[in-house]
Amino acid sequence: MSNSEGMHSPVAQFEIKPLVELSLGGYDVSFTNSSLFMLLAIGVSSIFLISAMRRADMVPGRMQGMAEMIYEFVAEMVRSNVGSEGRPYFPFIFTLFVFLLFGNMLGLIPYSYTFTSQIIVTFAMAAFVFVGVTIIALYKHGLHFFSFFVPAGAPKVLIPFLIVIEVISYFVRPVSLSVRLFANMLAGHTMLKVFAGLAVMISGAGGLAMAGSLLPFVALIGLTGLEVLVAALQAYVFTILTCMYLNDALHLH
Amino acid sequence: MTENRRYRLTAIAVTLPTLMSATAFEAGASEPGLPQLDIATWPSQLFWLVVLFGVGYLVMAKMVTPRIGAVLEKRRQTLDGDLEKARTASSDAAKTRAEYESDLEKARNNAAEFAKQAAMEATKKAEAADAKVARKLADKVASAEAALAKAKTEALANLNDVAAEAAIDAVAALAGIKTTSSQASKTASSIATKLAKQGAN
Repeated sequence: MSNSEGMHSPVAQFEIKPLVELSLGGYDVSFTNSSLFMLLAIGVSSIFLISAMRRADMVPGRMQGMAEMIYEFVAEMVRSNVGSEGRPYFPFIFTLFVFLLFGNMLGLIPYSYTFTSQIIVTFAMAAFVFVGVTIIALYKHGLHFFSFFVPAGAPKVLIPFLIVIEVISYFVRPVSLSVRLFANMLAGHTMLKVFAGLAVMISGAGGLAMAGSLLPFVALIGLTGLEVLVAALQAYVFTILTCMYLNDALHLH
Repeated sequence: MTENRRYRLTAIAVTLPTLMSATAFEAGASEPGLPQLDIATWPSQLFWLVVLFGVGYLVMAKMVTPRIGAVLEKRRQTLDGDLEKARTASSDAAKTRAEYESDLEKARNNAAEFAKQAAMEATKKAEAADAKVARKLADKVASAEAALAKAKTEALANLNDVAAEAAIDAVAALAGIKTTSSQASKTASSIATKLAKQGAN
């Protein structure tokens, strides 16, 4: 995977490396670096949230305050976007947010792995949300659900045209939801790798040229800060869009 | 994973143009393509995503969210309870104060009533005492006047006698005539009556 200068391809970081070879029904289900970081995201968040709430103080300490803040943040998101009918789905939305937040954040640690940069992972989650909210909508509203594709108050002539647009936009939801997260992670981590690689390459030139490596290095620090923001923001965006889709399913506009 | 190359090609074909810039990096790599598009890795990723997200969901749904929710609910209830307690205490205090003030007002009224009654009684007593003293004085005046009148009549009666005797003495000395006292008395009283009549006129 390395070229003549010894520099890795910026996308080599996304390679899946099996850690434990496993197979199930003819499929390769090896435990990989991606799986390891999924496990870490779930493990670290669970341990953090459970140990932070161990004492369950009336006046929360620092850790408990953080755990409660995450809870309140998601609860408020569900409350304001879905309403009281969203309560049964709160644990799922909460898990989704925590899984993505910890996945994105852990992925920023050097030498770690970002499973949210895998299109199959983000697409599977988006597809699950899409299928889930569609089933909820059909279960709740029956055939009346299809009125969702007919915009209210539109001129009669435009209705067939608008139905086509509404149907397309509905089915594009899982694609846009998954690609948004995947592309953000892919682009961010690629960019970090490019700047890091550049810094290493320039410093390798030796002498005065080494000073030139400061430029990509400083840029790398700024970009890392930006990526922390993106990591949190994309977890939030994925979660809030899920809330909105759920709201559409429960209330049909 | 070379047997998946044709799958990979179809996957690339359906991928959005956003990947175009990323795929440009592949030029220097010995194995072309984004690792994400190697569908041989997909079953494993899907499998572990389902398993681990499922486990995560169970942990969050059964352990984490009920626990945090319970703490927040308990805190909310404690705060509401404390506020309710404070409100009750405040209203109790207001009630006690109102009671105290009404009691004070009652006591003030009682005292005023009592003072009024006492004043009235004192006035009555004083008036009674005054009347008694006035009656006594009136009695005394009356008896004194009676005594005075008696003394006056007595004196007047004695005056007749004295006048008669003086007349007898005067007659005897002047004319040498001896008169009896009864005669003199008769004359004197007639004169006195005449004088009294003149005095009255």
